[in-house]
Amino acid sequence: MSEKKIDLSDLNMSDAELFAPVNRDDLESEKITAPRYSYWKSVFRVFFKKKINIIALSILAVLIAFTYIYPAVIHYDADVDPYVNLTDSAGKHLKPAAAMEHYEKSIHWILGAGASGESTFDAIWYGSSISVSLALVCALINMTVGVTIGAVWGFSRKFDIFMTEVYNIVANVPYILLISVVVLIMSASFWSMVFALTITGWIAIAFFIRTQVIIIRDREYNLASRCLGTPITRIATKNILPFMTSVIVTLAATEIPSYISYEVFLSFIGMGMKDMSLGRLIQAAQSAMLTPGWEMEFWSPVAVASIITVVLYLVGQNLGDASDPRTHM
Amino acid sequence: MTKYLINRILRSLCSVVIVTGVIMVMIYSFLDKQSIFATDPVFTKQKSNAKQVYMMQQWEQFGYLDYVPYSDYLLDEKKAGNIDEETFATAAKLGKDAGADSDVTAQYAAKFEEEYKKKGYEVVRLEGDTQGRTKKYKNGGEPRLYAYKDIPVLKRLVNYFGHIITVDNIHTVEEVEGERGLTFTLRDPAYGGKKFSPALMGNGTLHKYLFYFDSTFPFFHQNLVKINLGKSYSVNKGIDVFDTMTNSQGSFVRSQITYPTGVEEFSADDLHSATYVAGSLASGTLNQKYFVDDYTSVITRKDGLSKLGYSFVIGIIAVVLTYFIAIPVGILMALRKDKFFDKLGTAYIVFITAVPSLAYIFMFRSIGGGLFNLPTTFNMENPTWLMYVLPVISLALPSIANQMKWLRRYMIDQMNSDYVKFARSGGLSEGEIFTKHILKNAIIPIVHGIPTAILFAMTGAIITERVYVVPGAGNLLTMAINAYDNGVIVGVALFYALLTVTSIILGDVLMSFMDPRISFTEKAR
Repeated sequence: MSEKKIDLSDLNMSDAELFAPVNRDDLESEKITAPRYSYWKSVFRVFFKKKINIIALSILAVLIAFTYIYPAVIHYDADVDPYVNLTDSAGKHLKPAAAMEHYEKSIHWILGAGASGESTFDAIWYGSSISVSLALVCALINMTVGVTIGAVWGFSRKFDIFMTEVYNIVANVPYILLISVVVLIMSASFWSMVFALTITGWIAIAFFIRTQVIIIRDREYNLASRCLGTPITRIATKNILPFMTSVIVTLAATEIPSYISYEVFLSFIGMGMKDMSLGRLIQAAQSAMLTPGWEMEFWSPVAVASIITVVLYLVGQNLGDASDPRTHM
Repeated sequence: MTKYLINRILRSLCSVVIVTGVIMVMIYSFLDKQSIFATDPVFTKQKSNAKQVYMMQQWEQFGYLDYVPYSDYLLDEKKAGNIDEETFATAAKLGKDAGADSDVTAQYAAKFEEEYKKKGYEVVRLEGDTQGRTKKYKNGGEPRLYAYKDIPVLKRLVNYFGHIITVDNIHTVEEVEGERGLTFTLRDPAYGGKKFSPALMGNGTLHKYLFYFDSTFPFFHQNLVKINLGKSYSVNKGIDVFDTMTNSQGSFVRSQITYPTGVEEFSADDLHSATYVAGSLASGTLNQKYFVDDYTSVITRKDGLSKLGYSFVIGIIAVVLTYFIAIPVGILMALRKDKFFDKLGTAYIVFITAVPSLAYIFMFRSIGGGLFNLPTTFNMENPTWLMYVLPVISLALPSIANQMKWLRRYMIDQMNSDYVKFARSGGLSEGEIFTKHILKNAIIPIVHGIPTAILFAMTGAIITERVYVVPGAGNLLTMAINAYDNGVIVGVALFYALLTVTSIILGDVLMSFMDPRISFTEKAR
């Protein structure tokens, strides 16, 4: 490109017209010209950079669709549907191929038929909707209460002494005992299970957060902030909470699958809820595991539970990694 | 250090007591006391008024309430000399209802009611339950009169801890034949009185043998000090939780035994375990054949381990395996950070953390049983070492993942610290830096967990023991909860709580030995 030279004298303008003085602006000179930074945008940019995350997220989407949409689409009724084939003596404990032949070729029978001639496939997704809901509700309650109390616990020294003793006591009461007592007093329903899992479940999270808060609380930047007169609440929400985001996300990533596992465990030892959750399905199919040809009834809920927990864990862990600003470089 | 430790131990014991109190409040106040009969076969056989009385007796025995039947009251009066034999006989006869009582009975019944109401008892009179219109009572339908008072939880807690350790003495048994006292013998009569084997025997004590020698480890045994964690109701009726956990199981071991009467027989009875049962000698000819006094209750010798024993053997092998594998693998993962080996290890850790434990234990079981033909169930009759393999693997693999995860994390954290850079600039080789500097610092938190791992090997694992049918201690708590066996629940929970506090204290002590920078004394800070 050839440069076009302009001769200022050709323009026939006076100097005053050509040049205007610019005011020096202190405020403007402080501005840094950098692209706008959005924390969550960077988090997702880092998160989606890894291919495995996209794969895991799509598996998760499919799982969620089957868990919540599929039972609603087929109008699954847990009180009626498992028992419609109860009188059909030839329609029980069938392998997938046999079930498709016996009933019909449809998605319902791709995992075979169970002990009362029910569709294993439908039962699993209804069960996982209960299990996943339980895990989400429990994690939400425990995380909210645990993080709030943990933050206060980390800041207040008086509260620390008191809470540490409470923690020593509560942590020593066997969890199974607590849950079974709650279930016995109330009933083996979904909400009493939530109550049992959350009544003391938050304390471990609070203890973890307390330790994290104590570590960050006395860092130099917070000391400086306090010297400048920043109130404690502002330090907690503006200085410490952002620092904790990745810790909290990572914690949530381990918590949610752990409630699913715990529900499975409790049902297995006979202390779960009445609803046909994944755990109850596994427990009910326990004897089928040892019978040749019936193994499918046991292994399919186990496999679905495992896939759900692994995917949730993976997505959560990687989201936790991505939400650490140090990885945004 | 000592002062600090004593302080720590006292505080821990306090929290153990509070934990036990919380559990007692939970199960004795919140749960319906009727529920203890849920799995009791005797209870279902009882009918009518007898059922009520049976319930009262059981509740008294298991510490729910204080129960006084009218007949006991009369007996006490008779013993005190307030009433004679004849009045006793007439007063004891209750009418069908209060109106049908004879004058004497009515007088004493009223006295009984007044006396116990004053003490805060609830007095109950059950009317006779007759068959149709006849005057004959139904089976168990006799009229009853009794008083009861609930025992508050606090008193129960004090009672529980008051009796937790009992020392046998010559005044333990209320009535005993012959002179109370201790005898020391060099030739134990249980071996026929010919072999040299010192033993200390008591009369008036609960156990006949207080100290003795036998052929099982640790050869010298005692019955003087007993730990009582609480009686079982349905899991192992009438037996203390501690005994339930420590008594051996399996098939009988018979040997030639000389009974106190001189009868020699091939039997599994362990004469050293003889305890006093009042009136047992007079009650049956069978006892008279073997025994000369009321020390007739013996346990049998079995060849298996105890519940604790099985859990501990499996647990301790798993613990050793865990540390032997997890430490080198964790170090290697940190060394090869972000390389293939590290990624493989991380995948394994994700698998173990995320997948429900039930799922992978069943997976190990079907792989081990199907591919390697290992025994998948525990058989006490034909014990082989192979049957330990799968339970040990199922216990070890998850804890290996856990230890690996933390060791790798600690090592990587240490790798970035200044002292490592300094060591490197000083010319130390990478190997030296890793083993002498990083590992020494990274291993400290791992060491803290060792006492916990070892002590909790005793409690057993619930799912592993269920899946492989191991007769261990892991299932005790769930069994007790399912059967509403409150004594066992409290006992096992106390045992767990004691293990927790001891293991944390031991862990801290061990850590301060490992790392001289850690000190618990105030002065050093």
